[in-house]
Amino acid sequence: MNIQEFQQKLFGLGEKHGFTDMELYFEREEKFKCGLFKGEVDSYETSEIAGGSFRGLYNGKMGYAFTEKLDEDSVSYLVENAKENAQLIEEEIQEEIFGGSEKYQEGSFYSAELAKVTVPEKIELLKEIEKHIYAFDERVTGTNYFILESAESERFIINNKGLSLDERQNYIGMYISVVVKQGDETKTGAYVKATKDFSAFVPREIAKYAVEEALSKLNAQTADSKHYPVLLRNDAAGDLFRTFSEIFSAENAQKGRSKLKGMEGELIAAPALQLVDDPFLKDGLLSRSFDSEGVATMKKAIVKDGKLVTLLHNRKTAGTAGVESTGNAYKGSYKGSLTVSPTNLYVKPSNKSIEELTASVDEGILITDLAGLHSGADTVSGDFSLAANGYFVKDGKVQNTVKQMTIAGNFFDLLKNIEAIGSDLEFLMSNVGSPSLLIKELAVTVE
Amino acid sequence: MLAKSVIEDVLTAALATGGDFSEVFLEDRYTNNLTLQGGKIENSLSGRDFGIGIRVFKGLQSVYTYTTDGSKEGLLKAARNAAHAISGETIIHPAPLKKEIVTCAHPITINPRETEKTRKVNVMKKAYEIAKNYHSSIHQVLVRYLDEEQNVLIANSEGKFIEDKRVRSRLAIQSIASDGKQMQPGFYGPGAHKGFEFFENLNLEHYANEASRIAVTMLGADPCPSGKFPVIIDNEFGGVIFHEACGHGLEATSVAKNNSVFANRIGEKVASDVVTYIDDGTIANEWGSITIDDEGEKARKNVLIENGILKGYLIDKFNGRRMGMESTGSGRRQSYRFAPTSRMTNTYIAEGKSSPEEIISNTEHGIYTKYMGGGSVNPATGDYNFAVMEAYLVKDGKIGKPLKGATLVGNGAETLQLVDMVGNNLGHGAGMCGSLSGSIPVNVGQPMIRVSEMTVGGSKEGE
Repeated sequence: MNIQEFQQKLFGLGEKHGFTDMELYFEREEKFKCGLFKGEVDSYETSEIAGGSFRGLYNGKMGYAFTEKLDEDSVSYLVENAKENAQLIEEEIQEEIFGGSEKYQEGSFYSAELAKVTVPEKIELLKEIEKHIYAFDERVTGTNYFILESAESERFIINNKGLSLDERQNYIGMYISVVVKQGDETKTGAYVKATKDFSAFVPREIAKYAVEEALSKLNAQTADSKHYPVLLRNDAAGDLFRTFSEIFSAENAQKGRSKLKGMEGELIAAPALQLVDDPFLKDGLLSRSFDSEGVATMKKAIVKDGKLVTLLHNRKTAGTAGVESTGNAYKGSYKGSLTVSPTNLYVKPSNKSIEELTASVDEGILITDLAGLHSGADTVSGDFSLAANGYFVKDGKVQNTVKQMTIAGNFFDLLKNIEAIGSDLEFLMSNVGSPSLLIKELAVTVE
Repeated sequence: MLAKSVIEDVLTAALATGGDFSEVFLEDRYTNNLTLQGGKIENSLSGRDFGIGIRVFKGLQSVYTYTTDGSKEGLLKAARNAAHAISGETIIHPAPLKKEIVTCAHPITINPRETEKTRKVNVMKKAYEIAKNYHSSIHQVLVRYLDEEQNVLIANSEGKFIEDKRVRSRLAIQSIASDGKQMQPGFYGPGAHKGFEFFENLNLEHYANEASRIAVTMLGADPCPSGKFPVIIDNEFGGVIFHEACGHGLEATSVAKNNSVFANRIGEKVASDVVTYIDDGTIANEWGSITIDDEGEKARKNVLIENGILKGYLIDKFNGRRMGMESTGSGRRQSYRFAPTSRMTNTYIAEGKSSPEEIISNTEHGIYTKYMGGGSVNPATGDYNFAVMEAYLVKDGKIGKPLKGATLVGNGAETLQLVDMVGNNLGHGAGMCGSLSGSIPVNVGQPMIRVSEMTVGGSKEGE
């Protein structure tokens, strides 16, 4: 059954069952993923998937159900389950099905150039990078991740209030982790990037970056456990902002899960901090011209000169707060229900290089990666205690690498304690990015 | 779920370019997810996942392709896409399929798909009431309910043709205590390879009260001190530490490429004498149990470490090729969207001889962790980290004041050598484990153990 036929049968049966407003959110995706190990393609994956989510108003309550099989069974499965689900909902404020925004800004989310890159070209690129990795240093013993992936996807929203939207996007991404050994010490160094520009991958530079990162972690030494000024390198800073990005969701605020509730207009961060949500970013993983309920998206400041400008809204949270939707309705996929998410969220870079930031530190720690973000960070209280790797900094210069550490603090305090912002904004493979950030102090424990 | 002749055609098409093994994995899964917030049902989501994964090997090359298109044409196209990654002449043809009938080792009495959702809501509301009424400082209670029925068909070019139905149920209770200034969470998430009967026999009082008790206790806790201490880790979900610190390093995924600290060390002493570590997918109706794995191999009990000596690994078919070893029934995947790889099922440290009282009374100054939060590990280095949900100071052999904000960091290989006491109160806890082949249900388990020295990262010492 094709999608149009499926949608017509679905809405037809839905109407018979008493649904008033109905919507089909549909996605399809084609993906390629391939891994290399010592010259051989050791994993190779292709896929074509499609699925749809039905939502509809039944007696004024919204019911949801999804399927990956477009057959007669699924039509009745969706309608019956969405109806049963709607009847269980007790929340008073309900979502509505949206008839559409007045205007949608054009964006370029699909690169025809990228779509032309062939599989042999992608594999050749990996082989080139790998050659450089092994040639770079004899302490390289292997790679524990060496993967390239590319995807093309298309989203559709069709409802019986007249909305019919459709958008296509593509990207290519790479994640590499190089393993080096010296004596009893084993360390890894990673390279991660997502882009629409195939020529952004320069084999020698990628190899150099990952191997040098791993090598620089050897000869780890201990350091005193105490409070230090901490320089969060762009990747670590981005990880931390990604983890805490949900504090900017109005949905979380309204449910008492974010301390930023009602703080619009107030100073919540150092005056130097500018935080931007940009759905039209060129290589952005969540770039889009309409959000998951069909509202037109827009670029906007979330924090300006340290003051909270707005939280992120979908139509339901905006209705509750008495404001307009910011176009941040989000569904992780057709399997999820509607929530709120930033599109591409980033800390606006300054013109200071990371070397300049380092030069201003008398004694401190440079953090290059964080682990345990899904368990060691509490987005409600803002408290975090995370495993970290990085270097000792003395008299403005990067010294030895430090044994595994934990850094602990509170994200809301950290926002206010940002002393300097770097110029090196990076997104890696995430929709949240940051340049390097110098933090006044954090508790550092060295293993 | 799929005609035998279609499967045979697909397995044949996948081998057309010189592959030496092909496999079809079909999945038809029904799930229900409900969320209760503030006593009201906020979300109720039902869904049907459907798709087919096709895998081809040629020597140490593995190709995977998946699709939601279950038509014969769709499947043949996917099989040809997979074959396209290999170049050569056909070398083998699939063996005739021989249907194997398996009896489910984890019988279900009430199918959740045929259970009215209002009965599920009743369970959630009961849990909510208990947790909410535990104490006046309980500010919020979030209850999540999950059930799923996963039907799979696995067939391969060696003639294997097998079907299985896996039914799982879980309830997750999160309580948040608040004193107006700060908030502290407490969590308990029991689950089983069972149908709705799981909830009818579940001790809701215990789980809901514990979630709230943890939150309330942590509200009054002092910040955890930083430094090196003997650490006592209690049973059940405490086993997450060995899941991360050691279990992942024993998976063929990292062993086959020599990326694990445990690679090439069978027969060597890798842990202290008191440590025996087991992965057992056969325990009746446990959350991490399976009848067959996702490559169609029967689940089994695998002893990984015995009295400190490394005995074996968790091996899937593909990594087994690189290692020259047989599958251990450990090939698992989240769904048809993932090629299977070696994963854990129910993994635990076997019981020792000490009573919990003995372990505590033998500790002069240390940290006791009653409930662990989540954690992660870098399998190449063995470096791990964990959040502790509920911790206490141990002083002069007695449990003292509660501590919040503790993190444990260390290295798996080192920690294994430092386990100096193992208790006699083995228990299992349910969790989700994420790795290369996605997020899968696993149990972690252990009796109470003591590690003679661990690095504890506290939150705000000195402030």
